[in-house]
Amino acid sequence: MDFIMNFPFFSIMICMLAALSTFMLGRKAAAWVAKGALFITLILSIVLTAWLHASGESFVYMMGHFPAPWGNEIRAGELEGVMAIFTSVIALLSIVSGRFSIRTGIDDTKQNLYYLITCLMEASLLALIYTNDIFTGYVFIEINTIAGCGLIMIKNTGRAVAAAVRYMVVSLVGSGLFLIGTTLLYSVTGHLLMQNINASVACLAADGSYKVTLTVITALMTVGLSIKSGLFPFHLWIPDAYAISVMPSSAMLSGMVSKGYIFLLIKLIYRVIGFDVFESTGVFDLIFIAGIAAMIMGSVAAIRSGYLRRMTAYSSVSQIGYIFMGIGIANNAGVVAAIFHIITHGLTKSLLFMTAESFTAGKEDIEVGDLKGLGHKHPVSAAAFTAAALSIVGFPLFAGFIAKMLLANASFTEGWRMYVAIGAIAVSTILNVVYFFRCIINLYGFGGFDGAKDDSDTETSITVQSEESSSAYHRNGVYVSAQSDCDAAPTRCEKSVHGICAIILAVINLYIGVAPKLLTAILTKGLNVFN
Amino acid sequence: MSFLIPLSVFFPLVCAGLFLIVRKKLQTHKEICVYTGVVMCVSALLNVLVAAFSTTRELSFVLIRITDSVSLTFRADGLSLMFAILMSFMFVIVGFYSFDYMKHEDNTKRFYLFYMCLMGILSGMYYSADLVSLYLFYEMMTLFSLPLVLHSLTKEAIKAGFKYLFYSIGGALLSLMAIFVIYSMSTNHEFAAGGFLDPSLVNGKENLLLVFVFLAIIGFGCKAGLFPMHDWLPVAHPIAPAPASALLSGIITKSGVLAIIRVVYFSVGADFIKGTWVQYTWMVLALITVFMGSMLAFCENGLKKRLAFSTVSQVSYVLFGLSLMNPVAILGALLHVIFHSIIKDDLFLVSGAIIHNTGAVKCDELNGIGRKMPASIISFTLSSIALIGIPPASGFISKWFLAEGALTSDTGAFSYIGPVVLLISALLTAGYLLPVMIDGFFKGNSEDAKEPFSDEAKPLSLVPIIILAALALILGIFPGIITGFLEGIAGSILP
Repeated sequence: MDFIMNFPFFSIMICMLAALSTFMLGRKAAAWVAKGALFITLILSIVLTAWLHASGESFVYMMGHFPAPWGNEIRAGELEGVMAIFTSVIALLSIVSGRFSIRTGIDDTKQNLYYLITCLMEASLLALIYTNDIFTGYVFIEINTIAGCGLIMIKNTGRAVAAAVRYMVVSLVGSGLFLIGTTLLYSVTGHLLMQNINASVACLAADGSYKVTLTVITALMTVGLSIKSGLFPFHLWIPDAYAISVMPSSAMLSGMVSKGYIFLLIKLIYRVIGFDVFESTGVFDLIFIAGIAAMIMGSVAAIRSGYLRRMTAYSSVSQIGYIFMGIGIANNAGVVAAIFHIITHGLTKSLLFMTAESFTAGKEDIEVGDLKGLGHKHPVSAAAFTAAALSIVGFPLFAGFIAKMLLANASFTEGWRMYVAIGAIAVSTILNVVYFFRCIINLYGFGGFDGAKDDSDTETSITVQSEESSSAYHRNGVYVSAQSDCDAAPTRCEKSVHGICAIILAVINLYIGVAPKLLTAILTKGLNVFN
Repeated sequence: MSFLIPLSVFFPLVCAGLFLIVRKKLQTHKEICVYTGVVMCVSALLNVLVAAFSTTRELSFVLIRITDSVSLTFRADGLSLMFAILMSFMFVIVGFYSFDYMKHEDNTKRFYLFYMCLMGILSGMYYSADLVSLYLFYEMMTLFSLPLVLHSLTKEAIKAGFKYLFYSIGGALLSLMAIFVIYSMSTNHEFAAGGFLDPSLVNGKENLLLVFVFLAIIGFGCKAGLFPMHDWLPVAHPIAPAPASALLSGIITKSGVLAIIRVVYFSVGADFIKGTWVQYTWMVLALITVFMGSMLAFCENGLKKRLAFSTVSQVSYVLFGLSLMNPVAILGALLHVIFHSIIKDDLFLVSGAIIHNTGAVKCDELNGIGRKMPASIISFTLSSIALIGIPPASGFISKWFLAEGALTSDTGAFSYIGPVVLLISALLTAGYLLPVMIDGFFKGNSEDAKEPFSDEAKPLSLVPIIILAALALILGIFPGIITGFLEGIAGSILP
């Protein structure tokens, strides 16, 4: 066995140990430990993926020398490697760029706990990605839920606690469904390791026995995971959770946490139930239709909400719809497109939340109309925001275009799904244009360009009716304007670090958009050896 | 000399970027104008150089290969050269006009920044050698021409700008879906006369392809003001400053035409569409737009809005010619692209001068204006005559070829209906353009005549107006200057 095969285990353990050590440390030391752990994880993941890509193989790693029926196993292939790189990049950049947000949004005494939660989150996500054991998967889903609640709740305001409780309730329903599915699966097959279950399920499907049970299991697990990733009918926890929490939390929750569950679902489809059995249950249609509905309804909700971060959060709902639609197309190309979009969207959405922080200037949220002329005040953030918006809209040269093209191409062989998918992509993209360009025009259109004349006081601005969101704020009895609880401005150093992180994300996005060959090759190859 | 193509695309963009950096240093309007003027002329010169070097062999350039199927490639064929030269000429002429016009406007730096960008982006669009590059530059064109519509930032301008944005992006997305479908049915993606589809991949999916080609025509036709998606045009064109309206009507609408030619003739191939429902629906939509645009212009009282409706109608003459799929009609369509650009730019420039110098914005406020600004109104009259199609002015030539093409095409009843609609529309054109001249010269109080030339445009604005009017006339009398070149293009489009 090569030494490099230990890397997945190392990266999980490093994050765990970092999480354990941070609660004893001061705020600064904790920050460095967390950043160091995430950086090491990133390097390990990159080395591992490069090695796997070069050798073109995947391996199963036995934990603690206990063989199959009792022990835990880890499985690493190119897909897992790419996902590990992706999560560690987003976690690292989020906490590095979020120094200002953490400093002002969280009590001094609790700041080290924030790094603890971040490391725990990364560890649980890595475990979800690497696990080859469905019960370990369940355990880390729960750890992930707890860490997610912490990420939201650490900002000690009433609304944050309410959002966290809502997140917790919904998530527990999701993981409960997953647990029921796991139990049923265990009682039917007698196994917990993925390849063993897969073999038994294939036997059962060939026999024709337990047909209903298998369908129920598949549906339960799929629904559980979709609740946790915020698919359309179950998306109501998303806007509060993303828009109220501190910036790094929003970036991580939207960028990588919901994506971990989707990856687990893909793992479930290919490695547990088996693609053909999964297809015969008809759950793909369910996913597909829910995805289409999410694409449209998420964008409509984003247009209706007049606040920047809330709008971005609703946009996540629509983008998660794209990913589920890709899975629901039900062929390998669709799943490759879905994973590609997981990465694209994670990079883009965390960039959007990151840049939104500069515009909100310490407030919790900001009306889209108040973005007037801010583009000249924060040139780097505004440029990065524009790049991210163009990527989501699907402008060529950005990663979003490639993702949409892969999704459309994947649907061509699939009959009726093609018409629905292409129509939904077109409609949803137009809706995306509506709300993102409103922001961009507000950012750049007003004031300051000619230097001599500053017309930022003009009455005209592009405002929208924000009934839905303002009623949400009314309901909780707090207004956004009353929430400017911090008067501190970011220091020069914080500002430049934030800018550099935004630029890095934008450049990665552009790189994927201009040279997507490597990524698509890795994903396609990885998926081929997935089962 | 292939590097000349990317140079002509990126030179204006780089200069615009530099402009962004040094904009604080440029204090006076004159300095801004000199900077823009130099960039403009050099870009135009680069496009001319591309044309000059293309006479010996076709230039092409691969910018970047994104995936195996998607790449950004440039190629200078006859069609792209025709559009590029037309665009360069118009941008330079209108640019000189704008130096005077924009003196009294705010935010001129922003205006000229996007003006320069547009030159590069339009060149890029014209030289694109595959559908993805075309789509990229098409979208960029929408985004970079948007600030010209938004220029005044009043409520109406913002509303108009958004309408423009959503119609254009919506249309472009319909076309993007068509591009995905076309790409899935071919292995080689470079434009080729007669199409590049792989027949074995198309086999069995003909209906699907037809539907998406139709969607592409509707989508790109949005920019050209084709019927179901025309509504943004009469809102967005008049609200922009006059030079921008001129370019939007004269040049930007034509990029929709180019995109349709690229999809129909260079990607799918005319043979595939000829005789199908797509051709007939397209023809019907174009004829509806021709008539409807003229009728709406006839009923409209606002001067610039009337011209915008006229653009809706006239660009559909071009689309009608293209839908016939007949070399003569295509020649007519290409001629009409050039003539309509020249004429409509002139009309918009004159209307800008009228609005700017006298404050009149309605057609019934123009009594006696011919005595105050005679040179401009005479140019307006000449251009009107050319647009109506009275011989020997230029519009006659293009409409002649369009009608001849229609009559010789085997499209059944349409070969007669088409010319009849064109004739009715020409009558309406006379009905909405000539009253401006009649009111201007023959109505009004005689005491206005005391000071002739009192409101005449400044020389810097007047010279472009006169040049364009003269061209509208000269090209009608000596069409041989360009028909030879265009016949070659029409022949190459339809092999």
